[in-house]
Amino acid sequence: MTTVRLLSLVLVSVALAGDGAVVQVSTLSRDGRVYVSCTTDSALLTDLDEAIQAGLMTTVSYEVELRRPVTIWFDRTIASATVSAAVQHDTLTGRYQLTRSVDGRLEQSEVFETRPAITRFMTVFDRLALFRTAELEPNVEYEVRVRVRTRPRVTWFFWPWDRGSASGFVRFTFIP
Amino acid sequence: MAQAGRSSISILPVAQTVESPRRRRPLRDNPILLLVGIMALIAALAGMMTLANRSSQLAPDFLSEFVLYALSIVDGTMLVALLFVLARSVIKMLVERRRALPFARFRAKLVLALLGMTLIPAVLVLLVGSELIRNSVDRWFNAPMDDILGSARAIASDYYLDRQRQITDEAGRLAKALGPLDLTASDVRLVRDAVAPPVTDGRAALVEVYRLVRSPSSTGTVVPVVDVVSPSMVANPNRASADRLAARAASGQPDTWVREPLDGGGELIRSAAVVRKADGAATGVVVASVHLTGEFAARARRMTKAYESYTQLRVLKGPLTGVYLSFFLMVTLMILVSATWMGLYLAKRITRPVQKLAAAAREIGAGHFEHRVERETADEFGSLVDAFNSMTDELDARGRQLERSTADLQQKHAEVEERRRFTQAILERVATGVVTIDAGGMVTTVNPAASRLLGLNSDAVGQSAAGVFGHGDLQPLKAFAIGDTGRQEPATQEIALSREGREVHLAATATPLHGEDGEDGGRVLVLDDITPLIRAQKVAAWREVARRLAHEIKNPLTPIQLCAQRLQRQFATSPDAVRTLVDECTRTIVGEVDSLKALVDEFSQFARMPAPRRVTTDLHELLQGTLALYEGLFPSVRFDTLFAVSLPRVRLDPDQVRRVIINLMDNAIEALNQRGQIVIETQYDERAGVVRVIVADDGPGIAPEERDKLFMPYYSTKKRGSGLGLAIVRRIVAEHGGAIDVGANQPRGTRFTIELPCDGDGVFVAGAP
Repeated sequence: MTTVRLLSLVLVSVALAGDGAVVQVSTLSRDGRVYVSCTTDSALLTDLDEAIQAGLMTTVSYEVELRRPVTIWFDRTIASATVSAAVQHDTLTGRYQLTRSVDGRLEQSEVFETRPAITRFMTVFDRLALFRTAELEPNVEYEVRVRVRTRPRVTWFFWPWDRGSASGFVRFTFIP
Repeated sequence: MAQAGRSSISILPVAQTVESPRRRRPLRDNPILLLVGIMALIAALAGMMTLANRSSQLAPDFLSEFVLYALSIVDGTMLVALLFVLARSVIKMLVERRRALPFARFRAKLVLALLGMTLIPAVLVLLVGSELIRNSVDRWFNAPMDDILGSARAIASDYYLDRQRQITDEAGRLAKALGPLDLTASDVRLVRDAVAPPVTDGRAALVEVYRLVRSPSSTGTVVPVVDVVSPSMVANPNRASADRLAARAASGQPDTWVREPLDGGGELIRSAAVVRKADGAATGVVVASVHLTGEFAARARRMTKAYESYTQLRVLKGPLTGVYLSFFLMVTLMILVSATWMGLYLAKRITRPVQKLAAAAREIGAGHFEHRVERETADEFGSLVDAFNSMTDELDARGRQLERSTADLQQKHAEVEERRRFTQAILERVATGVVTIDAGGMVTTVNPAASRLLGLNSDAVGQSAAGVFGHGDLQPLKAFAIGDTGRQEPATQEIALSREGREVHLAATATPLHGEDGEDGGRVLVLDDITPLIRAQKVAAWREVARRLAHEIKNPLTPIQLCAQRLQRQFATSPDAVRTLVDECTRTIVGEVDSLKALVDEFSQFARMPAPRRVTTDLHELLQGTLALYEGLFPSVRFDTLFAVSLPRVRLDPDQVRRVIINLMDNAIEALNQRGQIVIETQYDERAGVVRVIVADDGPGIAPEERDKLFMPYYSTKKRGSGLGLAIVRRIVAEHGGAIDVGANQPRGTRFTIELPCDGDGVFVAGAP
C-alpha cells in the first residue's frame, strides 16, 4: 500500500512539474509560408532571473514541430524548426545582449537595458516563417507543437520534466 | 558440466578429464582480466576525480546538461545493476535454501555478512557525505562574499556608467555646438575649433565628426569630417567602430554608445549624438570617446569577472551540488557494486570448492570411484583437492580390489549355494532321514524323510533336541540326539519306534561334527527305515523254516500213512473190538497225516512261490469273474462294485491276482461273520502310474497295532488257518511290483488297497456299472 501511495505521489509530481508554464501558439498561412507565433508564460524565466543577472548566457529554445495528426497512431512530423532566444548580461555596463536564431541562423540581435523588453524578447516570438506550405495538403488539419526548454538548468538533479520546460500546440486546417 | 564450467573446481570423470580438451577458465577467474577491470575502475575513479576538480570551470550548459545527465544515467544504471545483483543473489540464496543445497545456509550467511559489512558503512558514508557536500556548498556562498564582490562590481559599474554619462553629455554639448556650423564646408577649421576644447581639457580623448549625406534610396550615410585626438592616446582606435556607431545614431536607434577595447590596452567609451540645425534637421553626427586606461579597465573587468563567476557559481549551486552528489553517489555505488560482486565472488570462491568436494564425496560414496576433482588453483584448496584425489585414487584401488574380492565371494557363494541346493534337494528327496543339531543342542535341520519317519513338522527346527526327542515315541532317539552316548565317533544303532501303533525299525547313526579347531559343531542324526528289510528278513526266515519244515515233515508222512494203512489191513481179520480200535486209530493217523500233508503243501507253496506269468489282463473282467464265484454262497453278504470309468489293461498273472482277491474276499466274509457288505473298487492314478484295487468291508475292523503284523507269516487273528494267506497275498503283489496296504474303512471296517503298476499305454477298458 505504501508503495502504491509513493508511486502515485511520484506520478502526480511529474504531472505537476512538467509543462507547468503556459505556451500559447498561433499560426498563419500566407504567401506560401506558415508563420508561427508563440507566447510563453514569463514564469518560465523566474528560475533563470538570477542566472541572467549573473551574466550567464541564458537561452530559451523553442522546438517547433509541424505535425499531421494520425488516428490511433503517432502523429507524423512533417517539418521541424528550432528557435532560440539568448540573453547575456554585461554586469559592468548593465546592458543585455539578446539574440534570436532559427535553426542556428542568426535572425535578430538587440541590446536592451530594461527588463520588460528582455522578458518579451525571450518569451515571445511573432510570426516567424518557419515552414513552407508546399509540404501541406489543402483542407487537412495540422498541428504545430512547440516545446520550450530553458538553459542552463539550475536544479540540482536531472529531471526531464522540470519547471524549465513547457509545451503547447495549436491545430489548424490548411486552406490555400 | 555447465556448472562445472563456471567454477574453478569441477567434477569430471577420469576418462572425460583425459579426453576432453581443456576448458576455458571463467572470466572471473582470469587474473589478467581482473587486473584490467581493477585498472579500468581506478581509471574511471581518477577521471571522475579530475572531472570533479574541474567542474567549477566547466560551461554551465555542459555542467547542468551533459555532466549531470551523464552522471544521473550512470548512477541509475549502477543502481539498477546493484539492485539486480542483490535481487539475483537473494533469489538465488532463497532457491538454494529451499532446495536444501549443501552449504546454502553457510553461503547465505557469508554473503549477508559481506554485504552487511559493505552496505551499512557505504550507506552511512553516503548519507553523511551528502550532507557535508550540501553544507559545504552552502558555505561557499555566504553573505560577506556577496557584499564584497557586489560592492566591487558596483564600484566598477558605477565608474563605467559615470564615464559613459559624462561622455554622452559631452557628445550632446558638442552636437549643439556644431549645429550652426556647415559640416559640408571644405574648410573644417571651424569644426575643429568647436570640438577641440573638450579634448584639450581632457574631458574627451577623441572626438570624431561626421557629415550626414542623404540619398533618395536610403536614410543617409555618414561621412567623416574631422577628428580630434588627444595626445595622450597612444593606441589607434578602431575607426570602423566609430563609423558604425555614427551610422546607428544617424538612423535614430536608441543605442548610441559603445565600449571598445583597444589593442594596446585600455578601452574607449564612445558615445554618439546627432548634430541638428536650428530647425531640427540632422546634418551630422559627433562621436565623443573617453579613454579608460588599461590598468583600470583590467581591474574593473577582473572585478566584474570575479563577481560574475561568483554569482554564476551561486546560480549553478544546484547543478554543482547535484554533480558533486552524483559523483559521490557514483563512487559509492561503484564501491557497493564492486563490494557486492566481490562479496558474492568470495562467497562463491570459498563455498564452491567445498561444494564440489562435497558433491565429489557423495559421488565417491555412491560408488563412483572414477570421479575426480580437477585442480585449477594452487592455493590451499588446490592442496585439498590433491589430497582428495589421492584419497579417491586409494579408494578406487581398494574398491577395485574389493570388487574382485566380492566377485570371488559371489562366485564362491554361488557355488556354495548350488551345493547347498544340491544337498537340500538330496535331503528332501532321499529316503534317509537326516536331522542336524547344532552345538547348542538346537535342531537346525529336519529333512522330509526324517519328518515322515519321526512324525516331526517344520516347527521342530529351532527347538531343542532334548525337547523334540524327549517325549512320546521318539524317546529312544533322545540319547542319540543330545549326544549322551559319550562317543566321539559315529555310532549306529537299530532302534524300534512305535509310530501310530506301528513298529518302525530305524537304523540311527549319530555323527558328531567338529570344527577345524576341534570345537563342537553339533551332530548329524541319520535315520534309515529298515522296517521293510526286517520284514523281508522275517519272511525269508519263515520261508526257510517252511521249506525245511515241509522237507523234514513231508518225508516221514508217507511211511506213516503207509504203516497205518498196513496196520489197518493186518487187523482186518482181528476181533471186532481190536479191529474197531485199529480202524479208528489208523483212520485218525491217516487223516492227520493228510492234514499234515496239506499243511506241508501249503508251506511248500509259500516257500516256492512261482514267478508270475504276466499277460495283459482286463482287471474288471478278472474281478467280475472272481465275484461270480461267490454268487449265491453268502446270501447275507452284499457284494458291490465301484469300478473306475476307464481303466487300462494291466500286465499281471491272472491266477495269482485272482488268488489275492479271493483271499481278501474270504477274510472279509469271515470278518463279517457272513453278514454285511463288501465293496470292490478300482481306481486309476495316471500321475502315479498305478491301478488300485480296493477291497473294503464294514466289519469290526483291525486294530492299528495289528495291521502290519497281518502280512507276517503264521500271524492270524482267526482261530483256524495257517496264517500264510496275507503273507502270500503280499508276496504276490510284491512280485507284480506293487504294494498292499491296510487301513480303516469309513465309517467302519477294514480297507485293503492294492496298487499295481501300469504304464498307461495299454488299452483302456470301460468300467462296469
